[in-house]
Amino acid sequence: MTTLETRTPTRTTAPLGRLAAAEVRWVLRRPRTLVLLGLLALVPVAIGVGIALTGGPGDGDRDGPGLVAAVAGNGLVLPIAAMGLALTLLLPLTVATASADALAGEASHGTLRGLLLAPVGRTRLVVMKAVGVVTVAVLAVLLVAVVGVITGLVVVGGPSGTMITLSGTTLGLGEALGRVLLVAAWTVVQLLAVAAVALAVSAFTEHPLVVLAAVLGGLIVFGVLAAIPSLEWLQPLLLTSGWSAGTDALRDPLPLDGLVSSTGRALVYLVLGVGITVWRMRRRDG
Amino acid sequence: MGRRRWVGAGLGAVLVGAVGVGLVVAPAGASAAPVLPPVSPEDLVSSVMTADRQPFAGEVEVDNALGLPAVPGVPQLANGTSSVRVWSGGEGRGRVALPSSDGERTLVSDGTTRWAYDSRDRTATRAPAGEGRPDNADNQDPTTAATQAIATLRQSSTVAVDGTAEVAGRAAYQLVLTPLPTERTLLREVRVAVDAETRQPLQLTVLAQGSGEPALQVGFSEIAYGPQDPSLFTFTPPPGTTVRDAPARGDRPDRPEGDQGQRVGDGWDTVIVGRAPQGQPGQQPDGQQPEGQLPEGQQPEGAPDLSALGTPVSGPWGSGRVITTAVATVIVTADGRIAAGAVPQQVLTEALAR
Repeated sequence: MTTLETRTPTRTTAPLGRLAAAEVRWVLRRPRTLVLLGLLALVPVAIGVGIALTGGPGDGDRDGPGLVAAVAGNGLVLPIAAMGLALTLLLPLTVATASADALAGEASHGTLRGLLLAPVGRTRLVVMKAVGVVTVAVLAVLLVAVVGVITGLVVVGGPSGTMITLSGTTLGLGEALGRVLLVAAWTVVQLLAVAAVALAVSAFTEHPLVVLAAVLGGLIVFGVLAAIPSLEWLQPLLLTSGWSAGTDALRDPLPLDGLVSSTGRALVYLVLGVGITVWRMRRRDG
Repeated sequence: MGRRRWVGAGLGAVLVGAVGVGLVVAPAGASAAPVLPPVSPEDLVSSVMTADRQPFAGEVEVDNALGLPAVPGVPQLANGTSSVRVWSGGEGRGRVALPSSDGERTLVSDGTTRWAYDSRDRTATRAPAGEGRPDNADNQDPTTAATQAIATLRQSSTVAVDGTAEVAGRAAYQLVLTPLPTERTLLREVRVAVDAETRQPLQLTVLAQGSGEPALQVGFSEIAYGPQDPSLFTFTPPPGTTVRDAPARGDRPDRPEGDQGQRVGDGWDTVIVGRAPQGQPGQQPDGQQPEGQLPEGQQPEGAPDLSALGTPVSGPWGSGRVITTAVATVIVTADGRIAAGAVPQQVLTEALAR
């Protein structure tokens, strides 16, 4: 009798770490996640090789307008330019895929029902699913940044490991890497805002494609709205209107206004998205 | 019941979102005008002229509704808002950054040399500082100078200190210039906000006739006084930069001596009548040509193509094209004359007919 009592399980919840590890393993084993991450790693390589082949500055014709032109002969700008380019569509696509699989995908396979029936709190379920999405977002951005730094230093090269800012000053390697890290962190926050909205959509549907269509369609609609001059008052509400702030990291002294305000805007989207997701999942039937 | 809850939740979400975004992006609310001791216009202007220029760092916002045609390469001139970052170290040292979406133009002066750096084509242009700039350190007493300046202005305008305002978080006096009713001008008033403490001009607002919104507003949106990092005011061209020396002022080819233009009238309705630089449009053999039929290859490199702008006009003075903006009118005649002023078109044609 006494032995039975000592065997009575005292823990009523599974350890968070184990659950999170299981979810992450589950997410990272999906071929589509791996393919998307691989494609993302190719972005900085493609830009770097393209610039190395077409020649650096002073060759008359520049590589065209935009931040990419600033990469020529200035390799450490490459990760920042690559993250900026990927943020327009590829990175949101990656996190939207992960978010779509997290809830809508499970629902379409019928496996969400099992999770909802399990003696696990609904909020905890959302948190675990969110951990998987956050992992994908962080991995994707880090991959672009790290591959960008390596490609920038090896393929594009630069003035002895320094970064030339848009203001014409030269930053040492340490400070340049700090700037890259800052942009990476900022990009992750922007992506998490996208992911939170995607999770909210994902909580309402059982078709993963609806999530992808909603997120990518939403981004395109935001772009269109931002281009209409008479809707200028709408700009502060659009998540995408702050996405040019990543370029600010290339200015010296570093202007923080744009980065801070776009981060604040992303946090609002994040809170809204997570709130709606939790609210919906607490009420959802399999 | 279920539907009601959904609607409620939806409304709640929208509300939270709107409030959240509003809190994030809303500028600090307009506060009441600060209370400052009264000051006469003469005292205000002379204090501005005598004040020590303190080092500061700030952000200048340009709100442009002048209606100028877009000029490539200078987006700050086109309609819209743009911001410029400014640092001043005193003693002629300063730094200005003109950011664009994917580049930046930087101007640095260390007191002896001025640098202009363009990140798009990575060129740095060097010019000795002070050259071509009139010596501001006049022997004249600033108080007398201010009184004289105000007296000259009073011949054509009302000068007043009209209340106070808060600009970039600083209490400021508003110096207002209003043209006298006899002046035939497009301008309604010009306001200058002057920092009450440091007596530094903080904001310039130009209001045009028939519009409540400023045609041009240039002012600090942020300013912080205090010593600045001296490294801001030095410039070393980064590796891979093309360094050029700016042509000296006298060497400008297209500006013959004595062709600076002739002033017609005075005060607010001054009209400058000049001659267009050689080889520019407006010198077409027959200026009556309709738009779109101009022969190609006549414009020299870099000269602005004025012929594509404006609408054709003609009168006893000849014919040409008139370019109208919110605060100024320009007529480029077929025989190469240019008349410009902050005046209606009629005043320009009168000046041309003279």
